[in-house]
Amino acid sequence: MYDKTIPFEAKIRWIKRETRDTATYALKISDREIQRAYSFSPGQFNMLAVPGIGESAISISSCPADRDLMHTIRVAGDVTTAIDRLNVGDVVGVRGPFGSGWPIEETVGRDLMIIAGGLGIAPLRSIIRQILKSHPGGSRAPVLLYGTKTPKDVIFRDEFPRYRDVFEVHLTVDRADPEVYWRGEMGVVTALLDRVTFNPLNTVVFMCGPEIMVHRAVPELVARGVPGEKIFISLERNMDCGSGICGHCMFGPRFVCKDGPVFRFTDVEQFLKIMEI
Amino acid sequence: MESLKEKKIKKIKKIKKDDLKILFDKLRESYTVIGPKLSQGVVVLSEAGFEDLPAGFRDYQARGTYRLTDEKAVDVFSFSNGPDSFKRFLHPPLNEIFSFRKSKKGIAIEPAAKEGRPIAFVGIRACDTWALKLYDRIFLEGPARDPSYSALRKDSLVIAVNCPHPGDNCFCSSMGTGPEVTPEVTDVADIVLSELEKSFIVEASTPAGSDILEGIAGEEATDRDLEEKRSRIESCKKAMKKSVPYGELPELIYRNLEHPRWKDTAKRDLECGNCTQVCPTCFCNSSYDLIRLSGFSQKGAELKGVRIRKWDSCFSRNFARVHGGNFRPSRRARYRQWMAHKLAYTKEQFALPGCVGCGRCITWCPAGIDITEELEALKGVR
Ligand code: SF4
Ligand code: SF4
Repeated sequence: MYDKTIPFEAKIRWIKRETRDTATYALKISDREIQRAYSFSPGQFNMLAVPGIGESAISISSCPADRDLMHTIRVAGDVTTAIDRLNVGDVVGVRGPFGSGWPIEETVGRDLMIIAGGLGIAPLRSIIRQILKSHPGGSRAPVLLYGTKTPKDVIFRDEFPRYRDVFEVHLTVDRADPEVYWRGEMGVVTALLDRVTFNPLNTVVFMCGPEIMVHRAVPELVARGVPGEKIFISLERNMDCGSGICGHCMFGPRFVCKDGPVFRFTDVEQFLKIMEI
Repeated sequence: MESLKEKKIKKIKKIKKDDLKILFDKLRESYTVIGPKLSQGVVVLSEAGFEDLPAGFRDYQARGTYRLTDEKAVDVFSFSNGPDSFKRFLHPPLNEIFSFRKSKKGIAIEPAAKEGRPIAFVGIRACDTWALKLYDRIFLEGPARDPSYSALRKDSLVIAVNCPHPGDNCFCSSMGTGPEVTPEVTDVADIVLSELEKSFIVEASTPAGSDILEGIAGEEATDRDLEEKRSRIESCKKAMKKSVPYGELPELIYRNLEHPRWKDTAKRDLECGNCTQVCPTCFCNSSYDLIRLSGFSQKGAELKGVRIRKWDSCFSRNFARVHGGNFRPSRRARYRQWMAHKLAYTKEQFALPGCVGCGRCITWCPAGIDITEELEALKGVR
């Protein structure tokens, strides 16, 4: 095994612009042995490093069966700005994978509903792609609800036609954009729940998005009868080490980096209620 | 651990007080010996010999106060903990993790070598052995074993000491973490010293500890000696002035995360982070890349630097900052995070107490905030 506290090198194979501030980077691990030893599950993240600038926790947006290791990154801080300046063929440092993934076993025999907001779709794309590759036709279609600020902020826009082959997809935006024709809804992502017919008692929810979305969506789901134990949320916190030794990501007694980022709602409910925990 | 027990390493001896020097000398043959020493009117930890021990010194500690007194005691370990703990050495305040070189060809990373002789800590108190046990769990048993800590900790030796009397701010007795080094922590305390009136009882609890004891002449400890040890520990417990309602933890914290007291504490809190620096269980840190000016080179656009891990504190304003926001913008939330981590979260995270009752945070808080009083206040009406 390689040492997860020391970055290894990966080369950028290609870059795909997703929106004005977001792009997907496909990485190839340089070292053959690490390449072979490296494995992750959907929902996990890596620490990406630009030497001299620093590291940032970025969720993996590809699925394990994909050829490339992908990260979908929005320019926000120093590190992501530095990554934005890189080109195909440049290298980055990688540590990982870290954290808990989406509990796929929970979906067996149940109906999956994925709720994403903004860049929150990145770690969910990993599971979406996995399902695309494995979904047995005929059974009930999993649901995908996705909300963004404007139509221009829809990430993976070109992949949605393929998602629709397997998923029941509903999109919404906060506000329209005069330059783009928009066929989806307008309003918060929870409003999309009215568009779907689902059996709440048999539903499992995977959710990732801004915390404000989580705060709105979870009570809405619970009110409709989805059991809190069947709602899984991916949380975001400041991360530095990835393995529970730096303390930055603490959320109540949980370390988001090693106990999360994916949590069962009922395991963190008591802390989600407390501001600034 | 099984083989440990089979070997029956438990060795117990009685040595003369001055023979502690032999122990020091023996340790110096193969270890860097870190022990208590006076520096600028404070008992600190540094490389030290027997002569450096502030034997007989007493200190006066209160909220935000530390003074050496003129009082002279007969005991060698008469003084209490100063601000330092083992953490300065095993989790250095500024610690190079690796060096990197980036060129056109790629990134080359070299983990920082932690060479040098292993450390022997002399005079660690019961409270700090609990903190050390916690550190081992955090840095060695997490999802990624920390190479730096593990190199510094490897082969290190701990000579712990049962306290003859408590410091003025100590409250270990109520936390169950002192003043005696109990069997729960003898796996991290290789040797335990108990000071008697005229001698020391020396007990080895690990093979490494017993190897050291091997070469030191001593007498057998009699039942009377053991009785004296007992009664000294009891009187230390009795002399302890502070306590916390340990039995009510962690619920006392969990029930009161929105207690008005936090706001009140925040008004007094200076956010200097002193408490987190002196606390032997506080481990939070931040890493950054350091590039010296000489790290830039024109040829091949090479860049050289090091990744540094430095102590950080949940009191730092940016500790919980992410792009686009801060999860703990208020001082109230940051103080609450600290105390809740100490008294509630750690137990859940690592199955060990997050506060070991050493009282350092009380002594070194310039605002005189006392964790035992703050906890007591949470019991009040809300
Ligand atoms: S919180 Fe205070 S009393 Fe408790 S271990 Fe830390 S410094 Fe010592
Ligand atoms: S807290 Fe207990 S073990 Fe620690 S120095 Fe004080 S009396 Fe000794």
